[in-house]
Amino acid sequence: MSRVLVPCHVKGTVALQVGDVWTSQGRPGVLVIDVTFPCVTPFEGITFKNYYTAAGIRVCQHTSAHTPAKWVTCLWDCLMPDPHSEEGAQEYILCDMARISELHLILQQPSPLWLSFTVEELQIYQQGPKSPSMIFPKWLSHPMPCEQPALLHEGLPDPSRVSSEVQQMWALTEMIRASHTSARIGHFDVDGCYDLNLLSYT
Amino acid sequence: MAAVEKRRQAVAPPAGFTDSGRQSVSRAVGAAESEEDFLRQVGVTEMLRAALLKVLEARPEEPIAFLAHYFENMGLRSPVNGGAGEPPGQLLLQQQRLGRALWHLRLAHHSQRAAFNNNVSVAYECLSAGGRRKRPGLDGRTYSELLRRICRDGQAPEEVVAPLLRKVQCRDHEAVPLSVFRAGTLTCFVLLEFVARAGALFQLLEDPAAAVADRRVGQAVLDTLEGALQASDAAAPARFLEAGSRLGPDSLALALDRAVGGRRPSAPMTREEFLERAAALFIAKVKPVG
Repeated sequence: MSRVLVPCHVKGTVALQVGDVWTSQGRPGVLVIDVTFPCVTPFEGITFKNYYTAAGIRVCQHTSAHTPAKWVTCLWDCLMPDPHSEEGAQEYILCDMARISELHLILQQPSPLWLSFTVEELQIYQQGPKSPSMIFPKWLSHPMPCEQPALLHEGLPDPSRVSSEVQQMWALTEMIRASHTSARIGHFDVDGCYDLNLLSYT
Repeated sequence: MAAVEKRRQAVAPPAGFTDSGRQSVSRAVGAAESEEDFLRQVGVTEMLRAALLKVLEARPEEPIAFLAHYFENMGLRSPVNGGAGEPPGQLLLQQQRLGRALWHLRLAHHSQRAAFNNNVSVAYECLSAGGRRKRPGLDGRTYSELLRRICRDGQAPEEVVAPLLRKVQCRDHEAVPLSVFRAGTLTCFVLLEFVARAGALFQLLEDPAAAVADRRVGQAVLDTLEGALQASDAAAPARFLEAGSRLGPDSLALALDRAVGGRRPSAPMTREEFLERAAALFIAKVKPVG
């Protein structure tokens, strides 16, 4: 199935901190990425590349239409199995969702080992049109019936042996058809044939 | 093989050339040194090595006869035959060259491609060597003669191979490069195998008592093969799959059944006719020379 990218606007990461931004010198451990959509289109899923994020990542979806808008957690605590090691640190993640209108990505720093953490290549997509069906060759879409038809006539040769010989003959012919040389034949010089006097009279 | 090439150790006697029963080491060393040197100077070491390599490549059923032929051909290579009388005439020399080239070409089956290509190169060199009254290079007449000999010795009927020869032969005065030579000889050998297969196929189809086949059956088989050989637009793997499905036993059985059920029996098909029609399918796929 094909994907159609939905245009979206990804705002810069905002650090969540307790207290005054001037007083605390340390770097924050929680970031929020807010994704808004210029037009409300229902989308089916998001993909992103993890970059050392995630003790957890909360993806909040705001389901619309029937129910009043509410935030739902999609992914939590599963991007990096061991926050202190490399596993899962730079993987591509794909999530399927349904009917979402707004998106918050909340990133948590997995461990003090990883100073910077974010997600990259964020893409939102929706289900595209179904791809056209492949045109199968005729002989594939009409396979031979499985049961061997009872030979109506007697005296016919054994088909498997005939088939084996014919296939070998086919293979030999195909081999010759495939091999070819593009070299040109040369000519031996016949003495005197390029004599200028003779040529001038022809 | 290793015994032939092994270099003599400093003190110990050499492994290849001395008896294990020699008692005196110093005497053995002195004698063996001169023996090995003598053999190497005469060129026997190299010649034996080449002969053993050829045996390994060709894997003949009768190695002794094979080696005998090999050395006989080696002996013909030198222009002066033991200094006896005048050198043989041009025609005889030509026949000898042809015979030698044919012998080389038959050493390996065409499916052993590397060995076959080696032999083709040797045969080409043998035929294109310059002589006293011969220019270096392979002329069309010798090449065509060689192809005819290959087909004749392969016991394929004349009418069956004639169309192929017309396609791949060269005119007398043309100079044949190695690639054309290789392609032509390969095609002839493959055709011989193809005709052999077709003969075996006819034996499956024929009525043992009458030695002829039902025309409907023979025609159906040939038509199926021709259909499978039709060049389709698909790329190579799809084409092979399609041919495989057409030539499978089930498909063939259906085709045969349909053929026999559809028409009344007519004049039977002889072996010659079957071979000729089958070979025509093959030859149609051969690209003509030039």
